[in-house]
Amino acid sequence: MRATRRQFLQATAGAGTGLVLAFHLPDLLSSDKPFVFDANAYIRIASDNTITLFATRSEMGQGVRTNLPAALAEELEINLSQVKVEQAVPGPRFKGIRMRTSGSGSSSGSFTALRRAGASAREMLIAAAAKRWSVDAASCRAENGAVFHAASGRLATYGELAEDASRMPVPGEPKLKEPKDFRLLGKPLLRLDGPAIVQGKATYGLDARVPGMMYAVMARSPFLGGKVKHFDGSKALTMSGVRHVVPIKSGIATGVAVVADSTWQAMRARDAVEIEWEPGPNKDFDSEQYIRKLQAAHANGRAYPLRSAGDVKQALAKAAKTLEAEYEYPHQVHAPLEPMNCTADVRGGSCEIWVSTQTPETAASEVATMLGLPAEKVLVHTTLLGGGFGRRLQSDFVHEAAELSKAIGKPVQLVWTRTDDTRHGYFQPASIERVRGGLDANGKVVAWWHRSADGGLTVLGQPSAEEKNDPKYYANDEAPWGNFDNFYQFPNHLGEYIPVENPVPTGPWRAVMYPATVFARESFLDELAHAAGRDPLELRLELVRANKPIDIGSYHIDLNRMVRVLEVVREKAAWDKPLPAEKGRTWGRGIALNIYHGSSYIAEVAEVSVARDLSDLRVHRIVCVIDCGFAINPAGIEGQVESGITWGLSATLHGKIDFRNGGAVQRNYQDCRVMRMDEMPVVETHILPSSERPAGFGEHPVPHVAPAVANAVFAATGKRIRRLPITPEEMRRS
Amino acid sequence: MPTFTLTVNREPRKVDVEPDTPLLWVLRDALQLTGTKYGCGVGVCGACTVHEGKEAVHACSISVREAAGKSFTTIEGLSAAGDHPCQKAWVAEDVAQCGYCQPGMIMTAAALLARKPDPTEAEINQAMSGSVCRCGTYNRMRKAIQRAARAGR
Ligand code: FES
Ligand code: FES
Repeated sequence: MRATRRQFLQATAGAGTGLVLAFHLPDLLSSDKPFVFDANAYIRIASDNTITLFATRSEMGQGVRTNLPAALAEELEINLSQVKVEQAVPGPRFKGIRMRTSGSGSSSGSFTALRRAGASAREMLIAAAAKRWSVDAASCRAENGAVFHAASGRLATYGELAEDASRMPVPGEPKLKEPKDFRLLGKPLLRLDGPAIVQGKATYGLDARVPGMMYAVMARSPFLGGKVKHFDGSKALTMSGVRHVVPIKSGIATGVAVVADSTWQAMRARDAVEIEWEPGPNKDFDSEQYIRKLQAAHANGRAYPLRSAGDVKQALAKAAKTLEAEYEYPHQVHAPLEPMNCTADVRGGSCEIWVSTQTPETAASEVATMLGLPAEKVLVHTTLLGGGFGRRLQSDFVHEAAELSKAIGKPVQLVWTRTDDTRHGYFQPASIERVRGGLDANGKVVAWWHRSADGGLTVLGQPSAEEKNDPKYYANDEAPWGNFDNFYQFPNHLGEYIPVENPVPTGPWRAVMYPATVFARESFLDELAHAAGRDPLELRLELVRANKPIDIGSYHIDLNRMVRVLEVVREKAAWDKPLPAEKGRTWGRGIALNIYHGSSYIAEVAEVSVARDLSDLRVHRIVCVIDCGFAINPAGIEGQVESGITWGLSATLHGKIDFRNGGAVQRNYQDCRVMRMDEMPVVETHILPSSERPAGFGEHPVPHVAPAVANAVFAATGKRIRRLPITPEEMRRS
Repeated sequence: MPTFTLTVNREPRKVDVEPDTPLLWVLRDALQLTGTKYGCGVGVCGACTVHEGKEAVHACSISVREAAGKSFTTIEGLSAAGDHPCQKAWVAEDVAQCGYCQPGMIMTAAALLARKPDPTEAEINQAMSGSVCRCGTYNRMRKAIQRAARAGR
């Protein structure tokens, strides 16, 4: 649905008084205004019985626009079909509420807060009814959007009670429902946005339409961090529909924007802009050389201790058998199907933005600073996200659009082409992990020494000189994850980190730091198991036995949960049963475990087959067992697990970005391949029942996939894969 | 700029655009039919899939010059009320994650079922593998197609 400029303005005018409108729903602006009871930031009940729930996190496929309303509706005693879900626009109404969508915490993080919000509104409505009927509140109950008094058979809808309820005191400690009484939570829920999506009516960033808007694309520096030295837009300006050619200095991939009446006119004129680039310091950057630099750093770089128990060096010296291996993880790109884009309207001292973002608040405050506007003059509307995966935690593309709109004085939609999106962005960093291990004569792991080397996430900034001097700096930061929070119980254990500056801009990518470290850790455990002649699952079981919960940094870990997960995966994956025998191919199984931030306990078993001539690898089945605490929406979790596993498979089998001559080599989905339907294995998800605090699950199943598949390839072929992606060439090289 | 006439969702539409304009941008920018998505622009992701007659085609890879005089259906015109068997099956199987790929996927699946009402798994895989779902909803999508096929039996 499109909204007019006037409707947008009316909506913004009301923002300070609590009238917050998502631009999907301009119809709320009808002339007879019903009375509106704003129970709290999340809930609005109008006297016409419209109930609005505000989604304070971005929907990018993880189901928050279903799960968060479900938590509110559960306590408020309404059905999901009775509510309107609106996307929150950062502003005073949501002061103090975190609107950033990251770390897979969007459903788990707000769960209790939302239940409280729902319960508190329910209690106010009941109090209003009790007062009206002069009865005891305890004799009234809320159900289906109304309050009932059974003894007298009286009933009042929430809409009828809205005005009175607004005068009731806000309960300090509202009573939450008992989980056994849940109607919605813990049951499979269909996505509320489903019908709009399948009719093409769902509105993503690229679908924002503002009256009078122009369309733009940018010619971007082919060199990381390069700049425009000189440009000539005169030829482009003669082309049909082209209105402006403007240099853009903000963002991470600067260049020259071409603004036209339509997207295509901007795209076709882009090559006509003549640009001389200032390549900058990275013009010769080559990721293969960077990998060699990481390898060299293992020999001569400064290693910061992360973890230490016992005496690893001595234990290795005394071990019956020692092993050492190096694992290579390449740069990866997010490549969400909706490329980066942003629509901005900067005019007359205010700025309005429509964007698919995981972080509308940050975007708003950064743009306010950039434009020198007061915070309340910048409004950010969050649309649906055509995939986020961490890329949309950055606001570089928002800055570009705001800069451009300001320069031309018109609303404009700036779109990144797929090639822009593949070649530029905040990549997942490449790393080299080196692990050394020692076994005693009984095949027990007595020493574990894991060193990670990478460039960290550049979006976090570089540590200061003082921080660099602090040997505990990275340990205090509890990073890299997967090395720092390695939960296996080794008598002698050393975890270390070697930072090696990387000119590639890097940032969070699904599962952030875990994929590289977990690939190394879980592969090396497999190597140790085989060296000891032991079953890889048995060995892990031995290493996660602990008689009490353990603390690693700020993480409180109950290894019994991991034991349970392992026992279930053993059964569900038929770990001890033989695999099919097939002519011309060999089959294998591999396992990997991880505990994500002390809260989600997951095991995955991959089943693969490989052609005898190593020309082809097929992943047939992945069994995932997950304990992520109380499962708010099991169907949603299953979908997210499958999604995470597919994501992991893309990285395992295809994904990587190479840099040559200062820029990314890959350009589109042909050379930056992702999984397609014909390659999909069967994915089986088993969610263990739990009453623990709900934990995230969106990115948690990702890190296991590469090591589980690599371990399965070893089981099938005896080829040990220590570098991703696992292509036929890689299998032959190993 | 020249004027082209094409039929979209059973209505004749006139557009003034450059002859090399891909149908995708005609739909999205000139006709405001934003259900057809941009993913790659070069025919490798399927996000822009529409029907030309009964065939699934990539709107990013057909110029308006080629499209003129022909008849196209977009996701907005697939059914009157979102009740095409594929759309219903998609909702019932709760396929969508971010949802961005889904209009293209549904158009691809609908064309497959029109041609082959009871496709094998291999036929489904083959028809769908020109399309990318970065959220990885493939297995649920396959189930939805099978459900829609059953509904049509
Ligand atoms: S946008 Fe047409 S196939 Fe990708
Ligand atoms: S659902 Fe997100 S790309 Fe398919």
